[in-house]
Amino acid sequence: MTHRRHVVAVSALAGAALLLSACSTGQNSGANTSGSTSSSSSSSSSSEMSSSASAPSSSGASSGSSMASGSSATSGSSSGGGSGSVPPAIAAAGGTELLSAALPQGVEAQYGPVCKGSDLGIGKIDFKTDTVGWAQSEKEANPFRIASTASEVAEAKKRGIKLLTTNAQSDAQQENTDIKGMIDKGAKAIIFSPINSTGLGDAIAYAKSKKVAMIPVDRNITGVKGCQEVGPQLGSDFVLQGKLAADAMIKATGGQANLAILLGASGVNVTDDRTTGFLDELKAKKADGIKVIFQQTADFTREKGKSVTETLLQAHPDVNAIYAENDEMALGALAALDDKGMAGTDKVHIVSIDGTKGAVQAIVDGNIDAVIESNPAFGPYAFDALDAYVNGDGAPAVTITKDNQYDKSNAQQALDSGTAY
Amino acid sequence: MTATLPSEETTPAPRSPRFRRPARWTEFLRRYGVYLALLLLVLYNVVLTPHYLQWSTVTLLFSQLPPVLIVSMGMAMVIGTGGIDLSVGSTMAIASAVMAKLVAPESSHGLGYPIAVAIVVGLLAGLAVGVFNGCVISVARVQPIVATLSFLVAGRGIALVITGGALIELFTPFLGTLRRGTLLGIPYVMLVALVVILVVAVLVAKTGFGYRLLAIGGNLRASVLAGVPVRRTLITVYALSGLLAAIAGILATARLRASDPSYIGLLLELSAITAVVVGGTPLRGGQVRVLGTVAGVVLMQMLQTTLVAHNIPDSVSQMVEALIIIAAVYIQRTSSRSA
Repeated sequence: MTHRRHVVAVSALAGAALLLSACSTGQNSGANTSGSTSSSSSSSSSSEMSSSASAPSSSGASSGSSMASGSSATSGSSSGGGSGSVPPAIAAAGGTELLSAALPQGVEAQYGPVCKGSDLGIGKIDFKTDTVGWAQSEKEANPFRIASTASEVAEAKKRGIKLLTTNAQSDAQQENTDIKGMIDKGAKAIIFSPINSTGLGDAIAYAKSKKVAMIPVDRNITGVKGCQEVGPQLGSDFVLQGKLAADAMIKATGGQANLAILLGASGVNVTDDRTTGFLDELKAKKADGIKVIFQQTADFTREKGKSVTETLLQAHPDVNAIYAENDEMALGALAALDDKGMAGTDKVHIVSIDGTKGAVQAIVDGNIDAVIESNPAFGPYAFDALDAYVNGDGAPAVTITKDNQYDKSNAQQALDSGTAY
Repeated sequence: MTATLPSEETTPAPRSPRFRRPARWTEFLRRYGVYLALLLLVLYNVVLTPHYLQWSTVTLLFSQLPPVLIVSMGMAMVIGTGGIDLSVGSTMAIASAVMAKLVAPESSHGLGYPIAVAIVVGLLAGLAVGVFNGCVISVARVQPIVATLSFLVAGRGIALVITGGALIELFTPFLGTLRRGTLLGIPYVMLVALVVILVVAVLVAKTGFGYRLLAIGGNLRASVLAGVPVRRTLITVYALSGLLAAIAGILATARLRASDPSYIGLLLELSAITAVVVGGTPLRGGQVRVLGTVAGVVLMQMLQTTLVAHNIPDSVSQMVEALIIIAAVYIQRTSSRSA
């Protein structure tokens, strides 16, 4: 009967693949699927996500993508710079007002209310004796994740703080477990890089019940009221990154191009935000000459970036601009172009997001036009915020860090000074 | 249901009439369905896909196919013995990581060995994984699906440890040649794949080893009683599968100009199994259809290319692929007993 088992096993595997694909379904075409992210990260986590992270009011339950498309609706007008306005992405993360106080170095904007650990009953932390936990969300295989963890570890070392670290290997369930485990081991505060904007409700509720400070970095937790579920949030503005990428693309192409978009992993809010930010900016700048002829996910990986681009070049030989939502995909695309003798910004323009060494080097080599940085080095900000949150006068609910932008003019310098990671 | 070797039972079990189909057309479908599907897909593309009828379509296939083709050849032999090898994707990652670590210059945390040494050691690493699998399966009598599943999980971890978790970029000229070089318009990587296909076809059809392999898949008990060296044959089959996976891993690395152990060969074991099954090789063993497997690989790859070319969302394409797998497995179920 064993062969039958194999048949069952293989069809089960096929079924599993199908399920995976189904739950990572996501947007692909950008804005048109509100609620897609509720099926995001992992199917099993969706239940607990509704339990706590969706919390009181707000559009939080439908999470990232609705937030992204929401921001698209208003950001056009708000980008002009009304002082008190709060972008929807920030509102979803619990920010209610733009703080006008002097900004620390490297910070783009801060949003109130000001959070204090004592509001949630969190006691003071003595960094000489107490332990802090760091939960990384994805495998440290790409430069962004490596730099992200390195920054936290280095900062803890510098301050002489005992740091526990975990890595959830892209599994939301695992990140919940990791965080709860570190709390059980006695961590008084958790700095974590959420795998997604939702899906960590379980760990967040547990931390709240144990009076442990939670500091999300990079991706924000959405659907929360300022400071009531998690502590101060530090993040990049992915919608803004998309917009900057669009601006760079318009500049590089002179507003005339047949453009292909290599989307990030399906069902992740970073992908949604970088897509909507980009497309909205094209519209806002009336860049009608840039035609989006192709949008496919390449899963944030180099391998897929290459194979998808190869097919793209075959089906649409007229493509002359590529927007890659991270550097790895851009480098994959570049490999595909190189094989066809089409590498070089004079033939195909490339704009990508991240700011890794490989991509910045490609700018110097004349193969990529511009790279919008997504700064992974949250360590110093995170520990400052934590200190102010539990021991000091409080920290703003949402802090957006400043991202650099690289092009021909400063790429070499970024490599020399080591700002590209 | 003791945990022994697969495919002990070959006597057809009585079947409920509800599942009985006229054997002839299902058998025809099982044998030639893949060619039919391929023909339909090509016709569809010719009519509906722009820029399809060009030589570049072929060169694109030639550059994307080889890793899957090579892995599928090993998989076809394993399935021929009634087994399965889930570890091939991870084996690719190990071979790639070993090679990258050895050849990368010291400035990027490598060891700076010559490329020839690196490739040979990479291949040996794959071979070692295969031998290990073969031993666990034939000596320790662990079911193939379980034995190789353990390496599916562990192997990628090992690869990540070797490279320190990071992607290693490779600028070795030889890999560039491998990636871009052509002979009579056929890329070197495709030539490697063609040689592998030829060797496997000859092995299976013309040698004693091939005969023993099929005998084991056809009827293990009879093979044992007839004095077939089961252990040796099984270890060889899995070793070959590991070696072929290592070759595929090195080609994939050359293709990407980098060793990315988290993604190289990821889920490739499923693509390979799919190709073998879609190509008409029954999972119960006893048969290996080399040409069908090749057609299966081409079909699945071309399907993916077609869906991407038509800008179909990723999620839909995965569902389409799953449907094809289910159809192929279903056809097998209905006809394999009467074969």
